[in-house]
Amino acid sequence: MKIIRLLLALTVALTLTSCGRSGESGHSSSRKVIQNKGSDTLVNVAQAWAEAYRKINPNVAVAVSGGGSGTGIAALINGTVDIANASREIKPSEMEQARANGHTPVEHIVGYDALAVYVHKDNPLEGISLDQLAEIYGEGGTLEKWTQLGVEVPGCEKQEIIRVSRQNNSGTYVYFREAVLGKNRDYKLGSRDMHGSKDVVDLVQHTPCAIGYSGLAYATPEVKMLCIEDGQGNCVAPSEKTAFDGTYPIARPLFMYTDGEPTGAIKAYLDWILSDEGQCIIKEKGYAPVREVVCEGDAQTGE
Amino acid sequence: MFKATELNLRNEQREKRWRLLFLLMALLLILPVLIILILLVYRGGPVISWSFLFEFPRNGMTEGGIFPALLGTIFLVVVALVFSVPLGVAAAVYLSEYAPDNWLTRTINLAIINLAGVPSIVHALFGVGAFVLFFEFGTSILAASLTLGIMTLPVVIVATRESLQAVPHAFREACWALGATRWQTIRRIVLPNAVSGILTGIILEVSRTAGETAPIMFTGAAFFVPFLPESVYDQTMALSLHLYTISTQVTGVPEDLPFGVALVLIGIVLSMNALSIAFRVYLRNKKKW
Repeated sequence: MKIIRLLLALTVALTLTSCGRSGESGHSSSRKVIQNKGSDTLVNVAQAWAEAYRKINPNVAVAVSGGGSGTGIAALINGTVDIANASREIKPSEMEQARANGHTPVEHIVGYDALAVYVHKDNPLEGISLDQLAEIYGEGGTLEKWTQLGVEVPGCEKQEIIRVSRQNNSGTYVYFREAVLGKNRDYKLGSRDMHGSKDVVDLVQHTPCAIGYSGLAYATPEVKMLCIEDGQGNCVAPSEKTAFDGTYPIARPLFMYTDGEPTGAIKAYLDWILSDEGQCIIKEKGYAPVREVVCEGDAQTGE
Repeated sequence: MFKATELNLRNEQREKRWRLLFLLMALLLILPVLIILILLVYRGGPVISWSFLFEFPRNGMTEGGIFPALLGTIFLVVVALVFSVPLGVAAAVYLSEYAPDNWLTRTINLAIINLAGVPSIVHALFGVGAFVLFFEFGTSILAASLTLGIMTLPVVIVATRESLQAVPHAFREACWALGATRWQTIRRIVLPNAVSGILTGIILEVSRTAGETAPIMFTGAAFFVPFLPESVYDQTMALSLHLYTISTQVTGVPEDLPFGVALVLIGIVLSMNALSIAFRVYLRNKKKW
C-alpha cells in the first residue's frame, strides 16, 4: 500500500511540474536541426560529415549521437531522429514496429566497411579462413588454441584464443554473425564483448592472446590485420579497394535510414553525403565510398 | 597516585596502535584525490589554453577546443537549477515548517530517500520515457535538464531542510509571539537565517550535475553538435559525455586531450565546491547567534 501511495505521489508531482513547463514556448526555428543517431561504426564519419557540412550550409546543423545501430533504428521508430545510422540492414520486425508507429524507414547506402580481423602485432599468423573464424567464434566451434592454427603466439601463456566481440545491439556484431557464422549459428559463450569499435582494437593491442573484429577504419599501427583466405590459395587483405570491389568477403554496406523519402534540408544533406565531397570524407576515414571518387591526397593514402 | 600496572601499559600501547591504524586509514582517503589531481594537472595541464576552452572541436574532434561542450554543460546545469531549486526549496519549507507528522509526510520523506537512491542510469531511462517521448520534448536540453533536476532534487531538499531546522526554534516562537503569521516568520526570519545552508546545497547540486553522464546521454547530450545551443529545445554537447566519447569512440585523439577535458570538468566541480565552502564561512561569520 505504501509503495502504491509513494508511486502515486511521485507521478503526480512529476506530471504537474512538467506540464507547467511544456507549454512554455514553441521551437525556435531560425536554423534547421537534423538529428542523426546510431551506429558506433559510422559515428566518426557522421561526425566528420556534420563538421564539414557546417561550412557548406551554416543554416543547417547536424547533431550526431552514437549508441549503436539498434539505438539509431529504435529512435527512428520512436520518431526522435531524422536520420538513423546503421551498419546492418533494418530487421523486418523493426520495419513492422516503425510502420505501426506511422513511420516508413527508407534506406540509403552511404558507404562500405570492411570488417577487419585483428590480432596482436606479435602474432605470427598472417591469414585466416572464414571457416576457421567460424570455428573460433561460433557456438560449438572447435578452435580454442592458437596452436591449432599452427602458430605459437609469443607472450600468450596457454596459447588460448581470447575472443573479442561486440555488444549485441551493435550492427557489427549482427553483421559478423551473418557473414561468418551463418544466420542460425550463435556466438560461442565467453567472449569479451566490447562497447565500441575502438575498444575492440585497444584490447587486442594489449592482449597477445586476443583476436577481434572491428571496422577497418579503426586500424592502428599497433595491431595486425589478418587477410582472409578464400581456400584457393588467395588471401585478401581488407582495404577500401577490396571492400568496394567485393573481393574482400566480410565487407558490408553502411546505411542511413530516413523516415519516408527525404525532403528539404535532409535531402540536401544526404545528397551532399553522396556527392564527391561527402564520399571523399568517408574514404579519408578509412571506409569505402559507394562509387569511385578521386579525392585530394589520394596519392599518399593509396594502397 | 597509583602506579601504572603492566596491564595499563599494554592497553596504552594497544590504544596507540589502533589510533595509528585509523589515522592511516583516514589518510588513505587523501591519496586517490591527490593522485587524480596530480595526474590530471600533469597530463592535462599543457593541453589547456584559451583556444582549447573557447574553440570548436576540429578535424573529427581530435583537435581544436571544447567550447560547445563547456557551454553545453553550463546550460544544462542552469536549466536544471531553474527547475529543481524552487521546487526543492518549497518542498523543504513545507516539510520543515508546515508538515504535521502523518502518513503523507512520512510518504514524502520516503520518496525523497528513494529518489536519492535511484541509480543515475535509471533516471536516464525515466527521462527518455517521460520527457523525450511522453512529453515530446525530444532529445533536448530541456529533457536532459529536467532529468538532472529530478535526480538532484533530493540533495536540495535535504540540504535545505537541514539548514531550516538548524535555525533555533526560539526565533520562530519569538516571532509568533509578536503576532506574525507562519509565512511571515518563514519569509523574514527562517529563510534569511538558513540561506547559507541552502546555497551550499545548491552549489553541491551544481557540482554533481556538471559531472553526470548517464542521465544526459540519452536525453539531450550528443556526440557532436556543430553549433552552440540556442534554446532549451536544442541538443548540446556536454563535457562529461565528450570525455567519454573521445576516450572510447574517436580514433586518433592525442593521448593528453582527454586529460585536458577531465581537468576542465574537475576544475568546474572543485571550484564550485570551494565556492560553497567560502560562502558557508562568510555567511556563518555574519550570523549573530
